[in-house]
Amino acid sequence: MTNILEYIKHPLKRKQALAGYLFISPWIIGFLVFGLYPICMSIYYSLCQYDVLRIPQFIGLRNYSDLFFNDNYFWGSIWNTLFFTVIRVPLVIIGSLLLAVLVNNAIKGVKIFRTIYFIPSIITGVILSSLWLWMLNPQYGLINSMLAYIGIDGPLWLNDPNWSKPSIIMMSLWSIGGARMLVFLAALQSVPQHLYESVELEGGNWWHKFKHITLPLISPIIFLWSILEVIVSMQVFIEAYIMTKGGPLNSTLFYNLYLYNKAFDDFEMGYASAMAWILFIITMIITVIQFKGSKRWVYYEGEGAK
Amino acid sequence: MRKHIAKILLLPLAAYLMYALFASPHTVVDDGKIHVRYWFVSGPEEVIPYRVTQFNKTHDDIFVDATPIPWNEHEKKVLTAILSGNPPDVVSLIAPVQQWASRMSLRPLDKLIEQDDFDTSYVFPALWEEVNYEGHVFAIPTHTASYAFFYNKKLFRNAGLDPENPPNTWDEVREYSKKLTRMDDGDYTQIGFIPAYGNLQVSVLLANELGAKFLSDDGKTVHLDNEQMVQSLEWILDYYSDYDFDKLISFQSGFGYADQHGFLAEKVAMMILDHTFLDGIDIYKPELDFGVSAIPSFEGYETSSSTGNWWMAIPRGAKNVKAAWEFMQFAVSYEVQVKEATLMKQRLMPANINAAKDTALTNNKKFYNVLIEQMQYAKTPSIVPLVNGTFWREFTFAQERVIRHIQPPRQSLAQGNKVIQAELIRAKEYDIYVRQNMELEEYQ
Repeated sequence: MTNILEYIKHPLKRKQALAGYLFISPWIIGFLVFGLYPICMSIYYSLCQYDVLRIPQFIGLRNYSDLFFNDNYFWGSIWNTLFFTVIRVPLVIIGSLLLAVLVNNAIKGVKIFRTIYFIPSIITGVILSSLWLWMLNPQYGLINSMLAYIGIDGPLWLNDPNWSKPSIIMMSLWSIGGARMLVFLAALQSVPQHLYESVELEGGNWWHKFKHITLPLISPIIFLWSILEVIVSMQVFIEAYIMTKGGPLNSTLFYNLYLYNKAFDDFEMGYASAMAWILFIITMIITVIQFKGSKRWVYYEGEGAK
Repeated sequence: MRKHIAKILLLPLAAYLMYALFASPHTVVDDGKIHVRYWFVSGPEEVIPYRVTQFNKTHDDIFVDATPIPWNEHEKKVLTAILSGNPPDVVSLIAPVQQWASRMSLRPLDKLIEQDDFDTSYVFPALWEEVNYEGHVFAIPTHTASYAFFYNKKLFRNAGLDPENPPNTWDEVREYSKKLTRMDDGDYTQIGFIPAYGNLQVSVLLANELGAKFLSDDGKTVHLDNEQMVQSLEWILDYYSDYDFDKLISFQSGFGYADQHGFLAEKVAMMILDHTFLDGIDIYKPELDFGVSAIPSFEGYETSSSTGNWWMAIPRGAKNVKAAWEFMQFAVSYEVQVKEATLMKQRLMPANINAAKDTALTNNKKFYNVLIEQMQYAKTPSIVPLVNGTFWREFTFAQERVIRHIQPPRQSLAQGNKVIQAELIRAKEYDIYVRQNMELEEYQ
């Protein structure tokens, strides 16, 4: 980014610049047409009634005010989504960190264990949902059959409004051994050995090592993943779409499922656009809070001692 | 040199992009015929229907290019084509016509019908009612599904009931169901009748029998909480009190598709099903001993039923309207409908009354007469076309709240009604705005 004028004046440099732009043009054009334009239009449509097939009608902020004050499902869907996020994210992070610590041991055949733990995560969402639909089946499901074996009368899982959200959270823990575990594993392995040795010299045990060395050094990775997981969790959709359609009693009507119903069942694109922007703002607020809070527990090596 | 290579590589790409941008997406073979593009919803076999092959055989000036589209997401596919401004000339779909019409996605057919003196009395009245919206005709019904009461004769005999004497009233259904229900070790293994199982909404059917009116004449006010609907849900609630709800839900969750279907697996003894289910029986359980009778009614009321909508229409913005219309008339003509029905793998009922009653169809197919009879009492499931999705969603939620004892029927229906009404007001406002501000030659 030196001097743009210089590039414009100088014929050779101009040529170079042109070539440069040409090379990045596929991305730029792609972004402008399929990224920026729809984003801008969705701001406009969020102020309209619009069913795609017909012209948009400008109605100002009515979509937003209807969402906040006249919508029976809006707050419920936010509650469902936050419940899912708040319970799931810590479980997922702690779970994959534990797995990573386990497979970080230098025992024989550890690579086999790493593979085994990783395998479940290669199944995609739709198939996973169909699979769990059967595992959670109250009548013939694997889980209730196993519970019956030890004398427990299993719940109705997805058919019970009190159990439906926990069921979906449980199911989403299926892939804790996925990419997250691998990244944690890499982070664990990059912790310098000499730091552990110094703990040993001081007479510390494994817990001291984990608490005072491992955790602070991998905290940036944990922080990064907690942000990513929050964003992913806020967008939970496939599980409910495939398994419950939002029921029973709207207990699994997550925000994005409701948005989808509005957009593609009712073709209320204006309303759905407004919902999308609200989700964006909520997610952004949570991320900002996470960033602010991170100063208290995330340790960056370059910053020096605190 | 390198520059040249880049140019040589870029040129075809640029040429292709230009072509893709400006060329007509469908290549027209210049054989002097008018090519009509026809999209139809098909099963996995993607068989080109008889109406197309026969039409192409018998017409020299028009050729129908038929493209099968999968049932899944077919509505979105056609809607996007209309939006792109280059839709097919004619489509066959299975969806609420009136909802499509209300979005102005179909071409009104009134002028064409008038010009050709097209006889509209050929079709079952309930189906004809369905393709009309605000005084215009938007589609031509091609086939229908007809519902009837299916019952398992073997299970009837086992329970000591007369297999030739199915229940006539809903209160009889309730009594029979108790006798047909079996438990083992505290869990259900067989149930007589489950109101909330199957794709037909029994409670709306009951309300229709009682004479429910869901929408005011001016189309502005919804009454999901009408007196008959309240009565119907009260009956359903009472019906469920004979059973352990949690166990029933658990039992019902064991049902699936194909031979896992509750009726085919002989776990549900009585059900309201449409006649295409006869194919399911043929495929998965040909030995099933079952009977088909008229849908029961309340004491002193007439039976009621529902329609299934298979129809043909010309999308907004279609080019070859005349030729498409000729093909449509051909497709629903008596001979074509009879012949097609005999060739079909899936037994759809022709919308043409005479074709449906033709001996070629009725003779070799059991129960056909009951199903034709039932069409007289059929009512369209498009109750509030402008907000069809919301209506059915809210109905489902309201019913769920009732049978799960969260709210009593009247309150629950009123709560749902409030949502539908608010949506309807929005939709109406938008509709009025669009009709004032959008210029469409088809609608002049």
